[in-house]
Amino acid sequence: MIITPDSKVLVQGILEPLGAICTPLMQAYGTQIVAGISPGHEGKQLNSIPIFDMVDRALASVGGVDITIIFVHPYLALDAALESIAAGIRQIILITEGVPPLDVVHLLRKAEATETLVIGPNCPGIIVPGQVLLGTHPSEFYTPGSVGIISRSGTLTYEVALELTRAGLGQSIGVGIGSDAILGSSFSQWLQVLDEDENTEVIVLVGEIGGDGEEIAARYIEEVIDKPVVAYVAGRNTPKGKHMGHAGAIIAAQVTELTRNPGALPDIGTAESKISALKKAKVPVADRPSQIPDLVKKALRH
Amino acid sequence: MDLLEYQAKELFGEMGIPVLPSQRIDHPQDIKALKIPYPIVLKSQVRRGGRGRAGGIKVVTNTIDAVAAAQAIFNLPIMEEYPEVLLAEAKYDVEQEIYLAVALDSSARRPVLLGSPQGGIRVASTVEQMQHVIVEQEFSAFYARRLTLKMGLHGRLIQSVSAVIEKMYWLFQQKDLDLIEINPLGINSSGEVMALDGKITVNGGALGRHADLSLLAAKRVKSVYLGKTPVSSQRGGKEASGDRRTSTTSPLSSSAYTLLSASHFVQLEGTIGILCNGAGLTMTTLDLIYQAGGKPANFLNLGGESFYGWNPENFHNRIKQGLTLVTQSQTIQVLLINILGSVISCYEIAQVITTHLKQLPHTPPKLVVRLVGHESDRARDYLSTLNIPLVEQLDEAIVQAVALGKSRTK
Repeated sequence: MIITPDSKVLVQGILEPLGAICTPLMQAYGTQIVAGISPGHEGKQLNSIPIFDMVDRALASVGGVDITIIFVHPYLALDAALESIAAGIRQIILITEGVPPLDVVHLLRKAEATETLVIGPNCPGIIVPGQVLLGTHPSEFYTPGSVGIISRSGTLTYEVALELTRAGLGQSIGVGIGSDAILGSSFSQWLQVLDEDENTEVIVLVGEIGGDGEEIAARYIEEVIDKPVVAYVAGRNTPKGKHMGHAGAIIAAQVTELTRNPGALPDIGTAESKISALKKAKVPVADRPSQIPDLVKKALRH
Repeated sequence: MDLLEYQAKELFGEMGIPVLPSQRIDHPQDIKALKIPYPIVLKSQVRRGGRGRAGGIKVVTNTIDAVAAAQAIFNLPIMEEYPEVLLAEAKYDVEQEIYLAVALDSSARRPVLLGSPQGGIRVASTVEQMQHVIVEQEFSAFYARRLTLKMGLHGRLIQSVSAVIEKMYWLFQQKDLDLIEINPLGINSSGEVMALDGKITVNGGALGRHADLSLLAAKRVKSVYLGKTPVSSQRGGKEASGDRRTSTTSPLSSSAYTLLSASHFVQLEGTIGILCNGAGLTMTTLDLIYQAGGKPANFLNLGGESFYGWNPENFHNRIKQGLTLVTQSQTIQVLLINILGSVISCYEIAQVITTHLKQLPHTPPKLVVRLVGHESDRARDYLSTLNIPLVEQLDEAIVQAVALGKSRTK
């Protein structure tokens, strides 16, 4: 992912309710939003941002775009993303919740073939504090610094950022990878990105029950990551079978269990499984969000 | 959302997956109008596993026995769930039982075909011999044949079993399923295959584009609610089950479901109600309450901020619905509200909360309110005129809620 304060950004679904609310906030933070897409509304503007019927028409008018952010209806998200890929855009942030997983599979097959990076779906996007806001993060919770946050959650990510900011620990980046079963980018990919990022000194990984992303990340940290990582996992007390609206890959967890660890009891995806995997990889795990700043300070002292 | 066996088999039949002649039984008397010749198998239609061991499946050879068996099965709860429907099915003599499924693999980010040469109820050996094939690119039948070979099948079975897998995949794709499973696929002495039991899990997010499935799912929502009723309040018998259903689903009308889904609300038995926005934050708040020794009465997730139609108005509506639902709990003494976000006005939310609580017919619980976002100072001033403190730190909100939840006075 290449994000700079000068990155040119497109907003697809700029006139949808969430798009229309978030676009001015991103713009006010300094994000260079050069065009918006809303079929049937070409010629209109939102906060002086020109609106076009189609992506290729927008690019013909405003020139190249580095990143597109998608706020369209979940059943139109696949089409919007494919339209951007066809127009040559190679970085996509898909905010929309409720995109059918098989649409995401379809999108990722296309994205891999064209080397396009997809963040999300069902995610708050990315914030580089003091520079760029690409999504729904509340910018006032963040402050520039050297802690990189990678999270599957939305509002819980904000909570963690707020705790860090209140403790005087600024952030280099906040990334919400999304909370659906099928995601464009994983914890491991972002761990690698932040391990190489010169502005990041310590990484905070915010996980939750469901799926096996944290377990895989734990192994990855142990083998590859040099920078200190601190973790938090939500859902220790969530009643079994409930995943609170996050399609946390409960089936996928069963499948993974069935196929990768034949014979074992299917307990992958539980908070216990994730926490013990992280501890085994020598990653300190906070009991609550307010403990994260202390663990980060300890990690920075080492 | 899980479909019942008979619903899954209707979809199998439409797709051309071989299923036995069967008939749906809504009442024991329906047995008399049976068109399938005896012997037949009567099967309880519940979503929970283990119905065979629990006595929910019976083989009968004549009408008198069948009526008696149907009555018994209707009155037999399988892990607390009573069947509303039975399935009467022809009997099939099998030589071999295998397991087949198509699901999503979140690590591979692709659909995965699963198969075990050992199907049926011996789960451990099914799992032990499980094989899988990831569907990397557009599906084609060779992925299915590859699985049959990994499963050790040979001869004519390669074609007949892969034909079933292929049809399962098309159903999986066309209907946006999270899971389609046939266990067992029966193979008889002449090598013919038959789907003897089936499970389909529909993707909730995709229901809006499958009118047929959303009809079936609408029926299931009632039962989802039943499943969350505390065990202690459950009594045996069909009538009790009917009563519970009316009382537990009434708070949310069908139109309200489009806003706040039943899956966002969980009823428990403690004293603290929890209202949050976002799944991760809700789970965290629940964890912290338990860690501090508190007992949640329920918890409700208002949803995060990645819904494309999110705007202040529908968020306020969700808060109102949520308040109504959470405060109806019998055991609630304290309500902990923990909401934060980028585009919310804390002041407006504070107004919505206090106004709506006044309109509720019952005495509202004691409040612990934490709102973080725009206009939180204005919200604090407004709430202080009503003697409600606005709490800044999450830990502090937890301490207050747990303390109030333990005090006896309401």
